[in-house]
Amino acid sequence: MDMTSPRPAGPPDGYGPFAHLTAPNVLLYRSVMRAFLVAKERFAVHLRPEDVYAALPAAVRPGELEGVVGALDKLVEWGNLRADPDTGRVTAVEDFYRKRYIYQLTREGEAAEEALSAYDEALGRRGALQAVALHDIVTQLRALLVLAAEEAPDPAKTHLALDGLASRFGALADNARAFMGSLQRTIDLHDVGEEVFLAYKDQLIQYLERFIQDLITLGGRIARLILELEEGGRIDLLLRAAAAREAADATPQEATYAEQAAYERWAGRWAGLAAWFLSRDGRESQARLLRGRALGAVPQLLAVVRSLNERRAGRSDRSADFRTLARWFAEAPDDESRHRLWRTAFGLYPARHLTVDAETLAARAARPDPASTPWADAEPLRISPQLRRTGSYERRGKPRKVEDRQEARRRLAEVAVKQAAEIAAARARLVTDGVTRLSGLGELDPVSFRLFLQLLGDALATWRPGMTHTVATSNDGSMEIRLTALADGSAAEVLTPGGIFRGPDHTIEIIDLAEGDDGL
Amino acid sequence: MSTPLAEVLDGQHAAELRKAARALLKQPLLLAGGAYADEFRLVRRHASDLREWFDRNTGWSLQVDAETARLGKIPAHLADATHSAREATRSAAPFTRRRYVLLCLALAALERGEAQIALGRLADQVVLDAADPQLAATGIQFTLDRRDERLDLAAVVRLLLGLGVLRRVAGDEEAYVSGAGDVLYDVERRVLAGLLATRRGPSTIRAATLDERLVGLTAETALDSDELRFRAMRRSLTRRLLDDPVLYYDELTDAELGYLTRQRGFLTARITELTGLVAEVRAEGIAMVDPDDDLTDLRMPESGTHGHVTLLLAEYLTRAEGPVVSTADLERRVAGLAAEHGGFWAKSAREPGAEGELVEQAVSRLAALGLVARTPDGVVPRPALARYAVGETVVLEPRTVGTAQVPAQRKAHQR
Repeated sequence: MDMTSPRPAGPPDGYGPFAHLTAPNVLLYRSVMRAFLVAKERFAVHLRPEDVYAALPAAVRPGELEGVVGALDKLVEWGNLRADPDTGRVTAVEDFYRKRYIYQLTREGEAAEEALSAYDEALGRRGALQAVALHDIVTQLRALLVLAAEEAPDPAKTHLALDGLASRFGALADNARAFMGSLQRTIDLHDVGEEVFLAYKDQLIQYLERFIQDLITLGGRIARLILELEEGGRIDLLLRAAAAREAADATPQEATYAEQAAYERWAGRWAGLAAWFLSRDGRESQARLLRGRALGAVPQLLAVVRSLNERRAGRSDRSADFRTLARWFAEAPDDESRHRLWRTAFGLYPARHLTVDAETLAARAARPDPASTPWADAEPLRISPQLRRTGSYERRGKPRKVEDRQEARRRLAEVAVKQAAEIAAARARLVTDGVTRLSGLGELDPVSFRLFLQLLGDALATWRPGMTHTVATSNDGSMEIRLTALADGSAAEVLTPGGIFRGPDHTIEIIDLAEGDDGL
Repeated sequence: MSTPLAEVLDGQHAAELRKAARALLKQPLLLAGGAYADEFRLVRRHASDLREWFDRNTGWSLQVDAETARLGKIPAHLADATHSAREATRSAAPFTRRRYVLLCLALAALERGEAQIALGRLADQVVLDAADPQLAATGIQFTLDRRDERLDLAAVVRLLLGLGVLRRVAGDEEAYVSGAGDVLYDVERRVLAGLLATRRGPSTIRAATLDERLVGLTAETALDSDELRFRAMRRSLTRRLLDDPVLYYDELTDAELGYLTRQRGFLTARITELTGLVAEVRAEGIAMVDPDDDLTDLRMPESGTHGHVTLLLAEYLTRAEGPVVSTADLERRVAGLAAEHGGFWAKSAREPGAEGELVEQAVSRLAALGLVARTPDGVVPRPALARYAVGETVVLEPRTVGTAQVPAQRKAHQR
């Protein structure tokens, strides 16, 4: 995985990361670096300016976030920190400008801090993620669970287990940080040779896939174990036991203080561990961030491969293409040339065609002009006299705009109201107020007659041979008709404006069910 | 007897394919969201048929993914200056030199940039890029601190919003123009990636003149066999028939004309099958006319003041004596027409001095539709202009009631 050469950092003398010691704002710089070290102790991979701001002690905290950003940028310049574009999506203009970078310790900056704090840890780290570490963490957490189940956990075993967990975890977090740093460089192709990249890309993608898989399966298991340990404060007992054992070596006058300090340190580490695997307080867990980053890296890497291939195949760099076009537009002699360039380069123009109407088409189909007819002698397209005179006409063919249908809707509503009123009147007209004869219905207006025919049809549909009486309800359930055949053979006539309706006479009763008082 | 199901499905398939093809010809870049979502779905469904058709007949590539469909149109002839980039507002003013340059610089910045951009930041990068010595040598420069410059940038951004390259997240351009605010956009990289439709990247072309550059952008690979030459001719002719209102024979080379004469029926039938356009074949050329009056950005005849003036001037031009009609003639004619028809026109068109603008609009439209040609001296009618007019003798025939009502001097005909 170690395919990247170290980035040149700071001034050529190589002591850039110590430059802040002589700068006027030294206290602020030291505090900022301290914040990163504390964060590192809690296994945080990177910090946003807001995080640093919150972590600064009140004595050195600048009044504005801008002060911290300034300090961060200065430290980036000296090589203590590195800034990566913050690729999280934002929704407000201000955020876009503010959230530009996330910061992390550079190896140089960390080395400087380590030297300054008299810690002596190795500088060389490989930018790889040890999926094995995840397995170890599971094992250690299980051991802790066993210990927590005991009445009085063995302090020595507890301390050892916690220590093992912390060191395994420290390695994982360090590697994660280095890995993400080098991944970003790889993706940006900042200082990676093309050959190196292509040689490693398959390995890298395989590695990423395996890691993501482990992180998903083991990460979930680890999160469950952590929750289990935290249940009922069991972990707290273990942390206190470990702290007590650590403080045992302290001198008597330091004893109480040392135990408390050790406990706080352990609690901090535990909180960091939990934050790595559990999303809490609205902050995403580091594991999830890392997973997202690693997942996102796969398509990004593939894109790099594609762009490398395109570069090799002689395809041009798009940004350079657009800059070239900008120059061509500027150099073009006149507007016409520019329009031609636009049309040719972008190809976004619509097709353009003359129109023809259906009648002309039909006429041509019936009597086609020979292909050798000049336009002037051929049958023309006829233009509406109205259009020729006034410049407007009822458009034929498809309307091009969404029509305003307010007017039509209002008319429809009016028609609907009118029809409802007519039907109501027709129904009222038909209701017979008891049994009457068909011949006694008298004259019906067209609407009532139509309704009557429907009812009669509904009733007659139920006639079976031999029946003399039927009851039917209209299709819409609003009216009932009772019809009885008469034996006297008399005929009935119903007068309508359209003519006379004749048939054998019946007794008839029509009831409006919709009125609710069907007893009538 | 009912129609067999297979036949119904075939018919539906053909209708969908036609709708999709027309949508692409009208709008070579379609997005999954927005006004053309239905058309996009059709294009996506029939992508393989369409891709094959366009590749075989025009050599245009069709790229379709989940978000965008892009028909990589390459024009068959490079002289057409009537398709400009236009402002996305009602005025639809053609882009100026500054706007075209700004557009390209903005695209260059977006291409390098990240998934989001603020307008203010974009402006900064444009100003930086504009300082490039080669560009500065052309005498163009941007500071983007004056209001009119900001207006130019806003017009460019609105064009990109319309194309779907940018999507507005927060803020609005008005605020930026007035200097009171900023705007945040998401950059749609897939749309951006498909924006250039050229055969070769402009940055790989070393030509010095515009014409050579245009040829370079569209150059085909070497045509070293008869078969390739014929294929190139078929594609070029089909492109013209698909894109342009009228294909005049006198614009073709002898080889092209020979090929077109032999293959005319085949070429036009293939286009009709796909698009529903109908060939109007005449002695002077071919127009693929549209019965749906929809596959176009300009119409003739068209209602409204400008459409009306265009129609009346077209009528005047068909009657004109001599090959060239001067612009001054046309303006005099418009002044005369205003007395007769002005009552139907927009108020601004009746004001004295509006003639120049009216003539310009009308001539632009007629030229864009291939009905007239412009020369330094004025306007030359082209043969297809006659498709809207008939000879006097025919007018005087009392064929319909409508004809009788029309004054005898009218040439443009009524239905």
